Order: sequence, then structure tokens, then C-alpha cells
Amino acid sequence: MADKQFKKKISDALGNDVLRGALGRFGDAYVISREKAYEGYNFKEISDNIAQVKSYAASHLDEMIDQFEKEATKRGAKVFRAATGEDAKRYILELAKRKDVKKVVKSKSMVSEEILLNKTLMSEGIEVQESDLGEWIVQLAGQHPSHMVMPAIHMTKEEVADVFSGHLNRLNQPVIAELVKTARTELRKSFLEADMGISGANMAIAETGTLMMLTNEGNGRLTSTLPPTHVFLVGIEKLVPKFEDATHILQALPRSATGQQITSYVSMVTGPTPAYYSDGTIKDKEFHIILMDNGRRKMYNDEKFKKTFQCIRCASCLNVCPAFQLVGGHVYGHIYTGGIGTILTNFVNSEKDAQNPQNLCLQCGKCSEVCPGKLDIPQMILELRNRMGEKEGLPFTQKFALDVVSNRRLFHSLLRVASVAQKPFTKGQPVIRHLPMFLSGLTEKKSLPAVAKVPFRDVIKTIKQDVKNPKGKVALYAGCLIDFVYPKIGEGVISAFNEKGYEVVFPDGQSCCGAPATYMGDRNNARKCAIMNIEALEAEKVDYVVSACPTCTHALKESFKELLQDDPALAARAEELSRKSKDFSKLLFDLGGLTPGGDGIPLKITYHDSCHLKRSMGVYAEQRKILTDTAGVQLIEMKESDRCCGFAGSYSIKFPELSGPILDRKLANIDETGADVVVVDCPGCLMQISGGLDKHNPNVKVIHTAELLLEKRKNAKKNKSKKK
Amino acid sequence: MRDDQSILYERFKTKLEAVSGECYRVNTSTEAGELVCKVMIQKGIKNVALLDASISKKGNFSELIGGKGLTVYTDNFRAVTPDAEAGITQVNYAIAELGTLVQADSDVNQRLCSTLVPIHIALVSTSSIIPTLKETMATLHALPEIPGFVGFITGPSRTSDIERVLTIGVHGPKQLVVIFVDEEVGGAA
Repeated sequence: MADKQFKKKISDALGNDVLRGALGRFGDAYVISREKAYEGYNFKEISDNIAQVKSYAASHLDEMIDQFEKEATKRGAKVFRAATGEDAKRYILELAKRKDVKKVVKSKSMVSEEILLNKTLMSEGIEVQESDLGEWIVQLAGQHPSHMVMPAIHMTKEEVADVFSGHLNRLNQPVIAELVKTARTELRKSFLEADMGISGANMAIAETGTLMMLTNEGNGRLTSTLPPTHVFLVGIEKLVPKFEDATHILQALPRSATGQQITSYVSMVTGPTPAYYSDGTIKDKEFHIILMDNGRRKMYNDEKFKKTFQCIRCASCLNVCPAFQLVGGHVYGHIYTGGIGTILTNFVNSEKDAQNPQNLCLQCGKCSEVCPGKLDIPQMILELRNRMGEKEGLPFTQKFALDVVSNRRLFHSLLRVASVAQKPFTKGQPVIRHLPMFLSGLTEKKSLPAVAKVPFRDVIKTIKQDVKNPKGKVALYAGCLIDFVYPKIGEGVISAFNEKGYEVVFPDGQSCCGAPATYMGDRNNARKCAIMNIEALEAEKVDYVVSACPTCTHALKESFKELLQDDPALAARAEELSRKSKDFSKLLFDLGGLTPGGDGIPLKITYHDSCHLKRSMGVYAEQRKILTDTAGVQLIEMKESDRCCGFAGSYSIKFPELSGPILDRKLANIDETGADVVVVDCPGCLMQISGGLDKHNPNVKVIHTAELLLEKRKNAKKNKSKKK
Repeated sequence: MRDDQSILYERFKTKLEAVSGECYRVNTSTEAGELVCKVMIQKGIKNVALLDASISKKGNFSELIGGKGLTVYTDNFRAVTPDAEAGITQVNYAIAELGTLVQADSDVNQRLCSTLVPIHIALVSTSSIIPTLKETMATLHALPEIPGFVGFITGPSRTSDIERVLTIGVHGPKQLVVIFVDEEVGGAA
């Protein structure tokens, strides 16, 4: 759970308009330029290739390192393997002393930031100059980079001008072209005077001992041209097996990092090249390569985190992350920021350092969608969360809430009590905040629904199912929100499948799917929920299990299997359940959709994609087809329809200050469409968005696909009978 | 063959111009030399560091440029390039797909004359255009050994490190002029 100090950092970041403006503008522009840069290229093919060559390297790591060392040495390089950052620093310091180095110029190296190399060198009286413009600004300002690719993205030109003015003892105007010119002039001296260059690399090719660097400014070229001693500081994850394997990464890195087809410069260095020495002679330079581990091997040896080796450090995961866009990099606390940064921090710094930032992940999955290395970052963060939960235990209130949820009788009786208890105090208005599942402290920006008077599990008993030409049986898994807050959605589900010839049954023993426990890192309670539902749903006895909540569907399809993999009997049942489970729109579409119908009354709708339905299940066209097949319905797509609404389960409780602005952006996108109704397939999104609209624009309603179909078709039937 | 080369040249030109580079094509080395003089005069360049190679030798660049009253440095590059107004080098390949020049050469002067100077004039033989990045990597790999330094250059030096505003010309050249020469002069660089 996020501690107070961390919360303070978040609120400071949110209060920083400059930061939010810069990150917001960049995030918007990035999406467009990335897409343009990949035009005519097959992103999937490129990322498949990267995953393939990098996973090969990961599983042959010793072989790769040996081969790289052999080849680079053959070409005259001196290769040193550093187990820790301390080892690397000691090596560089000794080399610098041996060569009587006074001035060091660095092109960009995140690894050197990771091990705080500058501090070590400077404490020995060596002058160290960062030469990447962003790095230099951050160095002069006494800060850390806030982004892997754009270190100073959090600063304005005014702040940069102030930093330059302070450093150079003369006034610098906040004019970007002038500031860049100043950097050129000032840093040029450093390049020419430096007796040692230190660089990072984007790739290390085992087959040829080649190091590759992608830069735009030209500092990488100068660092590998001017100083007579050159040190490359490289993390072992940069290894790539074959020379031509680099092609895939050269295709992806610039496109994913900055939306460029290629960076201005790509430098490939194989062994020492000639350089000018201070006496004017030209001879081969002193050339060293440090391959550094510093916690990486532990990460690659861990089955759940092995894929981090496939990361090419493009930072596209940061650029599309709704949370990162709000808070920026410094909130993450260490050198590596964003989702991938949290995972790296866990291994290269410590688990403790990752404890706060891991909370920032919404689990929306947007990052995985754009990752050229095919990393499932949210899944890895969840694994961290689970491990932390197991090790440290959850805070009492959370633990208590999750214990209640995994105890069906207790949980449901509390919900029933709540539905009665809310009335005298709030005139039927929200009290859901007093329920254990939702804890408390939800944002004042949105209102909350009341608990339904009659839960769906009781409603269904009163519905007479009219199934002509029966084809089979569907078990409905309602999930907490449909069962106790939005029973109307359940009615829509029944009506739709009855029309398709299926009887809908409601197994009474079902309860919470365990998602709250899963996403809070409480695997024990999640497992209890899985067993309870597998036993209740008895998938063996029905044709399908349908859920109208994608988060629940994801649990039925994926999480249960994973939670029970150690128990063969239950695992087999989980597998059966997984196979038969489908989300409402997907199943209805697969069964051929409804016969064309609807009341024909014009209705402008816009559609919001739930993270789980779109990204874990790949369902986005199906519901649009079903909706637009309904007479009268006109779909107007909103901008960023698949961007998270900010609900993300318990996230909106943990971080209302982040969930709020994420919701605001969704509301603005909805406004722009001019639609009368927002249609969703997830009751969680429904609760979040309708809560926001209620305060922001109460004329726009939010409705679940199943409920909209029910309404539009019920009216049609009524109209028809009237006409008769 | 020539038609293919023209298609590749056009593709290269479009890509290079999209990243603020200037692109020309001439028949002979002598024409290239004349074009260099014209460009220098137009841009107000008074002196240039010339790393002589097959095209510039064949086209007598040194005399040609000197004959226009402009200063040509042909050696002592470590001393002259920090203050030279331009540099002329010949590169080994060009990648049509990206508008990228490829230096495959460990000679330090190649980089001094193309990186420290504010304007880089690059000469390349039209027949050295390679269609794609993939084929370029294969070409480099097929050399007896990977050259000590391989540098891809795509347009002038740039940064977006302050407020994400694109600014041309940081540590490397602010301008890149590429001249393709059709005449076969032999020797890559």
C-alpha cells in the first residue's frame, strides 16, 4: 500500500502544472507520431522478431557473454564483467587514475545513472560532463532523469534557462533555439578537452563484439571519436545474438521511442578505432567494455520476470501510461521510471524501493499493447504485488475487506443489510462507500450508485424465461456489481440469450470473482474465491458460462486457472470453466447476434472500451456490430475509446487523486461526441463514468450493452403490440 | 538498372528531405565539385575541411574550391575541424528506405570532418544506394570484418530535449547536404 510520503510526492507532482502540461502534450503527440512512423511496417512481425532474438539471448546468457567477450577481445577491446555497480565503478575509477584522467565526457548511459557513477568520479576530483542535452540539464539542476529517453521532459524552457544562467553566470533567455546553441558551445569544449569518454549502448552483438548506439544529437559520435580512452558501460540485457538481429531493434527502437523512422545517428563500434592523442599522434584508443549484471541475472533467472530481457528501453510503456502521464517519472523514486521501471527497480535497487511505485499501475494493459519486446508489464507488476502481499501482508483494513469478500455468506448478508441500512440516512442515495469491498474515501468528484433493493439473485427467480426452440443452457455469472448494484444488466443478459434459444440459470453459490484480492496482491483470498465459484458454477453441466463484467470474465477465463495450477483436479475444472466462459457481447456475437430489431427511435451513442474486454480478450468489434444492428442506434466514436476510465477496481479508492483526472479526460472525450448515451460492457466502468457524468454532465447516461439491447427491444415489442 | 537506381534515389531524397536534409544528384565528379562550390558560396561558407576520396580526387575538388578563393583544409583535421565552417567526406552507402548515409570506416578524420563542422557535405556514389535497412545490415555483415566504426547519418543533428520542441543542430552539423554522383570512380571512400 502506498505510504504517506509517496502520497505526498504524488500530490506535489499533480500540483505541478508545468509537468502535467509537458507530459500531457507529449503523450498526445507521441501516439500520433508513433503510428505514423510504423506506417507501412508490420509492428507485430517486428516485435515477434525482437521477442525471438532477445529471448534466445536470455536463455543462452552465459554463451552470449562469452561470445561477446571473445569477439570484442579479438578486435582489441578489454572486456570486464561487473557483478555489481560497485565493481563497475571501481574498474572505471582505477582506469581513470591509471590514465591520469582529469575530464570525462559522457554520452547517454542509464546504467551509469543506475550506479551513480558521476558521484564516484567527482568525489575523486575528476570533472564529469554529461553531453546528452537532457542529461546535462538534469545534471546541472542536480536532479535525476525523469524519463529514460527524455531525461528533462519535466522541465520548461524557463527552468532550463534559469539553470543555465546559474551555471554560466550570465543571463540565458528562455528561447529554446538559443538554449540549444548555448549547450553546443559549452559542451563542445568538454568533448575537445576530455581525456576519457563514457557511453552506454543500446545493443551489444555477441557474434561480432559490436556495440550499437542510437542518438540524435551527435554526442554519441563525438564521445566515440575524440577522447583517447573510451569506456562502454553496458547492462547484460543489451546482448543480441547475431549482427543482423540488430535490424529488428533498429526498426523498432526509434519508432517506439520518439516516433522517428531512424535516429539522426546510429553508431556501431567494434573494437578500438584510431584517435588523436594529446601529442597529436593518431593511434588506436584505449577501449574498454564493462558488461554489468547488478541484479539483472536474478531477474532473468526468475521465470516470471525473464521476459524483461526483451525490453529494448524505448519507454513507449511510459508514454502511453495514464498514471505516468499524470505524475511523471520522479514519483517512481529511482532511476528507472514507469511500469517497466518499477520492475527494474525491484531487482536493481530493492523490493522495498518498488513497493510504493508498483501501486501506480492501473492494470489497464495499454503498455503491453505498444511494447515492441512483447512484455506483459501489468502481469509482472501484479506478480510483484502478490509477492509483496505474501511477504509483508496487506494492511488490516484491506485484509479484512478481502476476507469478507471471500466469505460468501458474510459478504452477501452485509450487502443485503447495506441495501436496507442506506435508506434512512441517505434517502436511497449512495452508501456503497460504507461497504467493506469498496472501503472508503472515494473522490468527491463523482457520485456512487446505491445498492439495489433486490439483488439480481432474487430478481432472476421472478423472471419467466420464454425460450422457443431451446438449444441449451447458459450459466450466468453475475459478479458483485450486477448482482447487488446493477441487476438490470442481468435481465438484459437473460432476455438476449432466451431469444437465442438458451435458458439462463443462476447458480446460487457464486460469489465475488476474487479480482479485488488478485489486484491487491492477496493470492490466498483470490484462490478461495476461485474454488468457491468453480464449485458453484459447475461448468460441466452447461453449454456456456456468461458474464457481463469483463473483469469477472477475465478471472473465469485466466486467473482461476493460474491460481489453481498446483491442484490437478481443480485445475482441470478451471480449464473447463475457462473454455466455456465468454463475455456477454462476445458470446452473443458468436451465436449470431440478435435478429435485427429495435424501436427505431434515434439514439446517438458513443462506446467506451473496457481494458479487460479490449486488451485481454480482444473484443471490440463484436459489441459495436451488435449495437449498430439495433434500429435507431447511431454510434459516434469517441477519442481514445480504449483509454482506461480510471476505475481499475480498488485503484479508484487507493488513488482517487489519479483516478479523478483520468476520469476527467474520459468525460471530456465523451463530451466531444455529443452523444446522448455512453455504452459500456463493464459495470465497473459504468459505475466510474456514470458517477463522473452525474456531476459533470447529468444529461448523458451510461448504460451496459445488455441493458441497452433490452430497452431498445422491449420498446420495439411494445410499439409492435400497440400497432396491432 | 539505371531506372532502379533512379527510383531508389528518389526514395532517398524524399526521406532525407523529410528530416531537413538537402539532396542533389549529378552525372560526374567534376559537376559534383562545381555544385559544392555553388553550395558553399550560396551558404556563405569561407572554408572547408576536405577529406579527399575517390570522387573529390577525380573531380579535383581541392583546386576547384581553392580556385573560387575559398580555403580548403586537407590535413591536420583535429586542429582545423573544430573551427571549420564545413566538412566534405565521401560515404560508403546510402539507404533508400530511410534517407540514411552509411560511413563504414574506422578513420577518425571521417568523423571529425562530418561531426564537428556545422555543415556536412556528403558525397556518395549513386550505385551505392541500398534499398533497405535489412539489406544494408547484410551488406555490412558480408564485409571481411565489421568495420571498427559504422555510422548511420540521417539528416542533421537534432534534439527535442527541451519541451519536446524539435531543434536542429546540437552537437553535430546543423545542415546536411548530400550529393549523389552517377559517374563510377571506383573505391567506396
